Amino acid sequence: MATNPMEQFAIKPLVENPLFQIGGHDIYFTNQSLLMVIVALASALFLTFAVKPGRLVPTRSQSMAEISYEFVANIIHSAAGNEGLKFFPFVFTLFIFVLCSNFFGMFPGSFTVTSQIAVTLALASMVILVVIVTGFLKHGIRFLTLFVPKAPIYILPLLMLIEFISFCTRPISLSVRLFANMLAGHTMLAVFAGFVVSLGAAGGILSVLSIGPMLLIVAIMLLELLVAFLQAYVFAILTCIYLNEALHLHDHH
Amino acid sequence: MAEPAHTATTEVPKEGGFPPFDTTTFPSQLFWLGITFAFLFTVVWRVAGPRINGAITSRRGAINSAIAEAAKARAEAQSAQAGYETALATARSRANALAEETRQSLNGEIAKAKAEADAEAAKAMHDADTRITATRETAKANVAVAARDAAIAIVERLTGDKVSSQDAAKAVGN
Repeated sequence: MATNPMEQFAIKPLVENPLFQIGGHDIYFTNQSLLMVIVALASALFLTFAVKPGRLVPTRSQSMAEISYEFVANIIHSAAGNEGLKFFPFVFTLFIFVLCSNFFGMFPGSFTVTSQIAVTLALASMVILVVIVTGFLKHGIRFLTLFVPKAPIYILPLLMLIEFISFCTRPISLSVRLFANMLAGHTMLAVFAGFVVSLGAAGGILSVLSIGPMLLIVAIMLLELLVAFLQAYVFAILTCIYLNEALHLHDHH
Repeated sequence: MAEPAHTATTEVPKEGGFPPFDTTTFPSQLFWLGITFAFLFTVVWRVAGPRINGAITSRRGAINSAIAEAAKARAEAQSAQAGYETALATARSRANALAEETRQSLNGEIAKAKAEADAEAAKAMHDADTRITATRETAKANVAVAARDAAIAIVERLTGDKVSSQDAAKAVGN
């Protein structure tokens, strides 16, 4: 009876045959692809058509779009200063993509795009790539002084090694944080849902007891909604902090 | 019940247990992530971002211009009030000056009229005095004549003699 709680993370092709091949790899249109398309289309349409320029009193949906816009703009401004606002479209897209993926994954029966390490690692790698390119474009070879903190000379080699390792682990920590949060939350929901089903099927007093895990699911669901927002926020703000280092090295603005 | 068992047997060798680590799905994932993320990025960068930004800045502009207009209207109202107050003050001072002037001219007229009346009264009093004095003198003269006549009449009644008026006058002391 017990269903595998990991089954919800399985990527299944919706179209039986691969669409085409890239470099010898089959490209399928999967349940995850469908959710990514829905996320991208829905957020693009919403952000475009909820807002009518020149409307003095915003409607509810326009307020939502404007609030998210200003929210991200404030994150960038406080973490990376005025210069960081150049990266607004990038950070805003990241935030919206992660936020909508997390939220759309909360619908029962849908799929959580961000519960896949491939997706989160790709997003995090993209962030680090942007950081590295920005740093070298702006500072040239001086960007490498990022790994040289202000410290006495005898401790410097050790610190440089630590800084370098911490920089290299960033894409991993950034991606695993999001991936693990989404995975754990949905696994927990599935496990408790399995309890409800097996208790309900057991009959007698146990069937009545199944209300317990059911209520727990409701509570975890609320917590997961918070986590869904929080992880998108953390992803955006860490992106801004890394961008700030690329823009300003160690001197704080 | 047959279906889950069937999928389980086919999935286990394919996925190796943990779906997120199934590398055979990675190409599809990355391909669709690239497509959808690039699409969303382009829309945000070119369309939605400028649109939202335009809405926010136009609202901010409208609010700021409304505030500026209100401030201007307020300054105008204040200057109008100040003008009204100065006009009121000048009108009041002019009215005061006019009243003072009127009062002074009236006072002058009153004083003049009073002086004239005083002079008239003094003249009348003086005239009366002279008249009284004249009357008194005539009366005095009349008293002497009356005394002489009375003396003549008394003497004549008592003695039957006629006394001349000179004598009689001498006798009564005139």
